[in-house]
Amino acid sequence: MPILEGRGVSVAFGGLSALRGVDVAIEEREVVGLLGPNGSGKSTLFNVLGGLLRPTSGEVWFRGQRITGGPPWVAGRLGIGRTFQIPRPFAGLSVLDSVLVGVTFRTRHRYRRAADRRAEAERLLGLVGLADKAGARAAALSLGEMKRLELAVALSSRPALLLLDELASGLSPKGREEVVLFYARLRERGMTIFAVEHSFGLLAQVADRMLVLDQGQIVVDGPPPAVLASPRVAAAYLGEEER
Amino acid sequence: MALGFSMILGVSRSLNLAHGDLVVLGGYVGYSLWAAAGLSPVLLLPVAALALAPAALVWDWLLKRTPEPKELSSLVLTFGLSLLLQTVMRAIWRGEYRLIAESSLGASLQLGTLALNRGRVLAAVAALAVVGLLWLALTRTRWGQAVRATSIDPQAAALVGINVDGARRSTFLLALGLSGATGVLFATLHYVHPAAGVELTLMAIVLSIWAGVGHLRSVLAAGLLLGMIEALTVTGWGPGWREPVVALMLLGSLLARSGGLARGHAH
Amino acid sequence: MRSGLAALLGMGVLAAVPPALGFHPYYLFLLSTAFLLAAVASAWNLLAYAGPISFGHAAFFGLGAYGAALASLGGLSPWGAIALGGLAGAAGAAGVGLLSIRLRGAYLALGTLACAELLRGLALIWSEVTGGGAGLAGIPALPVLPWLPRVLTEGRAGAYYLALALLGAALGLFALIRRSRVGLAFAALREEEERASLLGLRPLPWTLLAFALSGLVTALCGGLYAHVVRVVEPDLVFSRHYSILPLVMATFGGLHTLLGPAAAAIALYLLSELVLHPLLPALHQVGYALALIAVILYLPGGLAGLRRGGRRAHP
Repeated sequence: MPILEGRGVSVAFGGLSALRGVDVAIEEREVVGLLGPNGSGKSTLFNVLGGLLRPTSGEVWFRGQRITGGPPWVAGRLGIGRTFQIPRPFAGLSVLDSVLVGVTFRTRHRYRRAADRRAEAERLLGLVGLADKAGARAAALSLGEMKRLELAVALSSRPALLLLDELASGLSPKGREEVVLFYARLRERGMTIFAVEHSFGLLAQVADRMLVLDQGQIVVDGPPPAVLASPRVAAAYLGEEER
Repeated sequence: MALGFSMILGVSRSLNLAHGDLVVLGGYVGYSLWAAAGLSPVLLLPVAALALAPAALVWDWLLKRTPEPKELSSLVLTFGLSLLLQTVMRAIWRGEYRLIAESSLGASLQLGTLALNRGRVLAAVAALAVVGLLWLALTRTRWGQAVRATSIDPQAAALVGINVDGARRSTFLLALGLSGATGVLFATLHYVHPAAGVELTLMAIVLSIWAGVGHLRSVLAAGLLLGMIEALTVTGWGPGWREPVVALMLLGSLLARSGGLARGHAH
Repeated sequence: MRSGLAALLGMGVLAAVPPALGFHPYYLFLLSTAFLLAAVASAWNLLAYAGPISFGHAAFFGLGAYGAALASLGGLSPWGAIALGGLAGAAGAAGVGLLSIRLRGAYLALGTLACAELLRGLALIWSEVTGGGAGLAGIPALPVLPWLPRVLTEGRAGAYYLALALLGAALGLFALIRRSRVGLAFAALREEEERASLLGLRPLPWTLLAFALSGLVTALCGGLYAHVVRVVEPDLVFSRHYSILPLVMATFGGLHTLLGPAAAAIALYLLSELVLHPLLPALHQVGYALALIAVILYLPGGLAGLRRGGRRAHP
């Protein structure tokens, strides 16, 4: 059984259809990449899968439970974690507190002692390399640091599945190498990942399987080499690759 | 009255909680001129409208400087302005109840079998005329285009060469002028007192929610409906019920329209 | 945090002195009113800490005052009556909090304002219970506690210490919340509600809790006020002042800070009554309005909590 499944997901904003009957299924411990030109519906699909947006039609299932259209905390409690393409930090909180929110209120592996929760939050910050920024205000971080915080916050609720939205975009080449390492580390830990990235090259390094979304429909589904060879990808991506 | 509120919300994304107090101020200014110089109420309308011009410039200046999120900050700011106006009016006019009791307005107008109070007829005619003129100005003039464009997307409007600041300022002048004139009309029909403003503000908000921001003809229809509900409340249950009914209508409309106006501006 | 508590304790000791020195009862009355307003401002700030900006705290103050007055006139001991009034305020506030299901930000603020106006109007109409516009008179005075020295409880001094104790309790509650899991949930929902829900936090119960706690403290102040003044009228206890002043004071003192709102409340109130009132008897309220306007325009730091959703990092 897939861990996450979207069946016939369609979304229309006014008369404009952003997604048209999308079927996706992510298996446990699979790392799946999602590609597509700007405006192809990637973030919309993430919002539907993460319980933030109710689709016009279609259903979303997570581990045998229907979670279509939220509410978002249900998706969060069941084990979906996500990052946002444009970081959405708890601006007024410290970096440590931002991570403590998820650690404190998660439903799985909850620590009863405050000291344990703090240690867990510090461990997560160490994982993304923000240990020395624990006391800083989240809003004061640089973009690169904010992206790491996004990941730490997403991990703080101890999710079984991560939806990662363009973790690498806007980062320096060095930052992107680190992102590749993050993906590898998460995969080692048995995390299931569904990731949007702008760069085909980066996704090809980390993904077991890739989907290509174009004009609201999945046009290609297969392992990276097969996707690369597909003429539909070239058509959808003409001039878009490697911004 | 709701027109002015709705225009300000449209153009500057500001909720003006002092709106009713400005109307009351217009009423007091009108009353003072009437009592001192004996001006006819018809002449008082433009005079009171002009008298609020300085206030319009102050409002424009202040609201332009409110930080994001505009709706909430402007709400807090104008809450303060409302307190300021009420205090000042209480200091000048000593919190007394004033009425422009022009005798010519009290006379009734015989229209067939209908006997109408002249003051109410004047108010109704003036309101219709204002709405008509405003509708023409907004749809048929370059100024109207500028105001409408500014209200839809100020940045885009600025890009195509529209003087956004000018459009904003003229909207404030017009909106507060309307408030001043409304105040005079109001003062010919009801007693004005410094605390009357809050209820008027709430009514203006209710009207704007019902009509949708900036739709002139629906504001008129909504105004009639609200006026009727208010009249029925007062005659049916007594004047004491007016305030709670207005508050209840505001709650109801906020909840009912939270998909439209409220949600649309919430982000 | 520890230094904050120490400062609190120090001020508490300092504040305990005036009655013992035999201050004029008028000044004791002024100070106790200042403490009550400071407690209301802190309660308002507690709600703002969880996100909602209230324009309707008069509703909770009035509920507490009327609830306590009615219970007291009905034969309950004043202490029990004040507690009951507090519970009425907490329940009413939680009811108002239900508006947050559909309303956000400025529109929730308008909703709270409408609720306060609604209650004030109802208090005026429902004269069989509330006494209508004339209000309720003859509320019994607070009994002198037998186990305390008379100098601490007699006359104005009793009200003074009670107001001070209430302020201390309000600040203590807020300090406790800020350090606890509850405070973390409040702050997370305030800063980025959607993000917090994705982490498994359900917003509604926390928002209702914030409303109820804030309403409780505010209503206790209202109940105490009713027993000190011994009269309640709609225009007195449901006055818009109890909606405007806490907002002014808390924003001026610094939203979400522990001591700022209370300090600003005491300073602004005393400034208004002792300095502005003798100078401009009719205009002394202007000070509050100007303070609020200045804070919005020139002290964005003081308004950090109002700027929700305004800031986003752009790549």
